[in-house]
Amino acid sequence: MMADVATYVLTALGLVFFVAGTVGLLRFPDTFSRLHALTKADNLGLGFIALGVAFQADTWAQLAMLALIWALALLAAGTVAQLVARAALAQVQVDE
Amino acid sequence: MKAVIHRALLFAAVWLVLTGADPAGFAAGLAVSAAAVWLSLHLLPARHPFKLWRMALHFPRFVIGSVRGGVDVALRAFSPGLRLNPGWIEVPSDLPDGARAALGGELSLMPGTLVAGSAEGKLIVHLLDTDAGFDAAIPREEAEIAALIGRARAGAP
Repeated sequence: MMADVATYVLTALGLVFFVAGTVGLLRFPDTFSRLHALTKADNLGLGFIALGVAFQADTWAQLAMLALIWALALLAAGTVAQLVARAALAQVQVDE
Repeated sequence: MKAVIHRALLFAAVWLVLTGADPAGFAAGLAVSAAAVWLSLHLLPARHPFKLWRMALHFPRFVIGSVRGGVDVALRAFSPGLRLNPGWIEVPSDLPDGARAALGGELSLMPGTLVAGSAEGKLIVHLLDTDAGFDAAIPREEAEIAALIGRARAGAP
């Protein structure tokens, strides 16, 4: 019962951050500011969802899988944000 | 040699997690882990000592930083007035390539900073709000990453 409540609260919180990331993507003025929103808010959203789902896990293997998914998504987010930012900056410099 | 053991353990652990430690996958896991170690040594040669315990020490700060980063950007996205004042700074960094990429990835998840590559030994950092003092965290994070690869420097904790 308590585990279910924790799942509801944490996954709901995670969804709020995904919405925030999307709102930022739409509202922020330029590519770089939008990347901030996507990377940071989505990373936190996934973290909360993984944490919420973890309360439903029956085995350590499932917990480890959730942790691995989060870690890989983090790694990808940090790396891709840099690559997109670098490419966008090069484009801006070409345009000027 | 230590790097080979570290990486072999890491890849083997990932394999065990992915396969739910099914004994039927052990043989394939050995082969795949060995191939992954070989490939990783080619892509990122082990030139620097890597302090695993330092990384464990660093992890809580990373989590706190990324929560603050996410909350900060979410509040800005939802705020009616969009409190943004984007701008660029350049930060000198003498970290080697792999560590610099790690620092860039980390800073991209910390509040208000985003790394867009580097030029002439300087990190090119985008700030979401140049008035918020986000850049104060950069030398701290750099010192922590430097410590991970065994480089002590002035100001490092």
